[in-house]
Amino acid sequence: MTTFIARGLLQLPVVLLALSLLIFGMMQFLTPEQRAATYVRTEQQAKNIDLIIRQYNLDKGFWAQYTTWLNQVLHGNLGYSKQSHEPVLTTIRKRLPVWTELAIFMFFPTLAFGIWMGTLAATHRDKLIDQFVRVFAIAGWSLPTFVLGIWLLAVLYGYFHCCGIGRADDKYLIEFAKGTLKTYTGMITIDGLLNGRPNVTFSGLKHLVMPVLTYMVVASAQIMRVLRSSMLDVLNSDYVRTARAKGLPERVVNLKHARHNAIIPIVTIAGLMFTFMLEGVFFIEIIFNIPGLGQWAVPAAIQLDFPAVIGIALLTGVIVSIANLVVDILYGIIDPRISFQ
Amino acid sequence: MKKYLFATVALVAFGAALAATPKDTYVYMQNAVFDSLDPVQAYDGASIGVIENIYETLYSFKRDVPGEYEPTLATSYEVKDGGLTYIYHLRKGVKFHSGNPMTCRDVEYSIERILVTMPGDSGAWFYGDALTGYGNDALTEAKKALGENASQEEIDKFLDAYWEKIDNSVVCDDLYTVRFNLAGPDVAFFAKMLFTAAGVVDSKWAIEHGAWSGTKDDWKDWIGVDLRTGYLHNHASGTGPYQLVKWDGKNIVAKAFDGYWGEKPAIKNVLVQAVEEEATRLEALRRGDADRVDVNDWATVNAKVKQMDGVKVWSDPDWSPAGAHVVFFNFNVQGENNPYIGSGKLDGNGIPRDFFSDLNVRKAFAYSLDQDAIFNDIYEGNAAWYTMALPPTWPGYDPDIPIRKLDLDKAEEYFKKAWDGQVWEKGFRLTITYNAGNTVRQAVAEMIKANVESINPKFKIDVVPLQWSDYLKAARAKSLPIWPLGWGADYADPDNFIHPFYHSEGSLAKRQNFKDPEFDKLIDYARTLVRPDQQEERYAIYKKIGRMAYDVLPNVPYPRQSPFIVTRDNLEGVYYNSMISGAFYWKDISKK
Repeated sequence: MTTFIARGLLQLPVVLLALSLLIFGMMQFLTPEQRAATYVRTEQQAKNIDLIIRQYNLDKGFWAQYTTWLNQVLHGNLGYSKQSHEPVLTTIRKRLPVWTELAIFMFFPTLAFGIWMGTLAATHRDKLIDQFVRVFAIAGWSLPTFVLGIWLLAVLYGYFHCCGIGRADDKYLIEFAKGTLKTYTGMITIDGLLNGRPNVTFSGLKHLVMPVLTYMVVASAQIMRVLRSSMLDVLNSDYVRTARAKGLPERVVNLKHARHNAIIPIVTIAGLMFTFMLEGVFFIEIIFNIPGLGQWAVPAAIQLDFPAVIGIALLTGVIVSIANLVVDILYGIIDPRISFQ
Repeated sequence: MKKYLFATVALVAFGAALAATPKDTYVYMQNAVFDSLDPVQAYDGASIGVIENIYETLYSFKRDVPGEYEPTLATSYEVKDGGLTYIYHLRKGVKFHSGNPMTCRDVEYSIERILVTMPGDSGAWFYGDALTGYGNDALTEAKKALGENASQEEIDKFLDAYWEKIDNSVVCDDLYTVRFNLAGPDVAFFAKMLFTAAGVVDSKWAIEHGAWSGTKDDWKDWIGVDLRTGYLHNHASGTGPYQLVKWDGKNIVAKAFDGYWGEKPAIKNVLVQAVEEEATRLEALRRGDADRVDVNDWATVNAKVKQMDGVKVWSDPDWSPAGAHVVFFNFNVQGENNPYIGSGKLDGNGIPRDFFSDLNVRKAFAYSLDQDAIFNDIYEGNAAWYTMALPPTWPGYDPDIPIRKLDLDKAEEYFKKAWDGQVWEKGFRLTITYNAGNTVRQAVAEMIKANVESINPKFKIDVVPLQWSDYLKAARAKSLPIWPLGWGADYADPDNFIHPFYHSEGSLAKRQNFKDPEFDKLIDYARTLVRPDQQEERYAIYKKIGRMAYDVLPNVPYPRQSPFIVTRDNLEGVYYNSMISGAFYWKDISKK
């Protein structure tokens, strides 16, 4: 197991290297001036763009350019984002915790909800609950995030005065800015606890309700449907019949024997789902005013802010690689037949 | 299942307590993101709306009285040498947010920092114009003056001379007296000093944190620099009633400054958030999580905001934004193969280049523009009339000048007189352009088309949208025969409108080849009236120019949407000043 993880982690740089080659290769379609924009911070520098082109070997061959660029990246210089008016790495450092918090709180409840509903649907095949889950899944899957988001905003927040927009109550945001609440991780829920102020964590949770609910309705559909069909397959298999014949209670048969096996495709989907969340939560971030990565990355891409786009691509690479590793490990844990060797 | 249902219900319920912002906290959700908090760099409404509460200028705008000012960091000022010297006497005992005392050194540093850096995309040019005589940074000016192939020696010589001008333009007579030596008389200098770029920066603090040292030693490193990379971009130490707590790239938090020299403000904490989605802003307002929000237009205000409980829409027919919109006529259209003037002859298939030089044509077009429809239909009555190209609340504006409303009989009469009857006989064809996406300008163009074409079937007008950059380029190339366009104030002086619109050297009048010696003479003369006691005379001249413009008709001003402010109804002290980016200063508001 340890060697497996180690091997997976060792693969990470290789994947990133391949990814960087790919991105850099694509950058060759741009003119040297456009590529030089990565290193330009000021108008003043823009006037001396020829100098920058020479300094970073942008008029040389591919490998000379690539090694120069890689050297900069390895020294932490991902370039300067025009969109955020600061180095790409600084922006990522600011926004990654916000995104991570949002992503974690959206991901696990969605997964749990999808698995739960999928199981119910399969075990109550063609009953009312199954019909409900099927309709819910189709409705949720075809509902655009921004429609549901605005709707929840108007109903839950506007009409029922519940939950909240942004990351926490205004007074806590002000306290964080003033420093009376310390920022440790950049995640409000965790920082609240670390400051010994559970009410801040509570406020953070409250403000996560609507984004999480929006995502849950839209994204859990896929999980429900896949789990339902794979569960139905398993429920008809011989070993489940054997388990029943042994006289095991229905609950143990369903949850332990059947679901255990049916869940493997879910792990695959969940891995993909997590990585898609990087840009996929853009609308949620916009509607609920959460300054995550999407709010920066999407406008940056539209405005051809290359350094930002490359930074996001590399970050995506890291997240995808880690998610893949976790998925592989989970395969092994769930199904002992899959070996770590 | 029950268990989960319970959990869901609990999750929803725990947020259900009615939230409202605390009484000493002001939360403003706006639609734009902040560009920079460096006063020299900032040139957008969102950033300036924050800076104007953190930094102070020598004089500042008097609450809701447009055209009136009050001493702020200065206590009085004098104008000498026929307007070439301005002397400001500074207030004593003023402290910066860092605790440093404010003296003349800081004023000198702040203004010279503008002249040294002169960022191209900022308002620095109008300080350069006034104080050094240069509208661009030193290196750009050197290139312009010496050409591309100048030797290093020549450039260095030019830069030294440029620095001398900077150094001499702001002088400290003593610790509390600052003297500005102008490059030439500038009637708008006082108004320019009210803009946030002239906000006084804590020089000691700035230098400590790596900003320009204030000396000749490193000034060359700061020429034309993009100040968004500097320390002052997201840190601040001014003398204003509020001090910056933090700008995290999205939200700005400020708190009342304990050591403020003036009256202590009622609002202690300010949170300004950039929230792009309008629906989100509106719900936050309804909910009370925001005390003020930006709403895009009157239609939304009427349809959605007015029904909300606890919300107040502040508006007043007397309010007008710091801008003017007009339809320009080109007195001599330029450009080879110009597609906008058809055949280029008065043959029914085009217009001659000087088509609009005939006053009858201009009058006929003016009577074809349905100003009532713009006022009532486009703006739903929430608009301000313009009798001349100057914001109606500004000094020098004359509300008694008549406005030509739609009158097709008169239009016909003037079309028949135009070009000795040839226009009526032969007809014409021309193109009105507007910038794509601007629905008001589109409506203005379509309106003129429909009305003019209804007068005589031989009159043909095409309406063509152009991309914004193409539109401006075509206007600058003087190739448009007739086009609607607006102008926003750079600084709070009527000269900023009168000169561009009516002087033959004005940036807008130039594009229409409008030249009238009578106008030029008056405007040039008004520019010499720099003393405070001469201002009444100057404003009277502007009124006269407005009346002359009614007769000569170089352009047709038309109504503009009137401004509004949307807040919770417990916010008090709200007013509207078109030269304050946030409409009011934070220090003047309070909550019930």
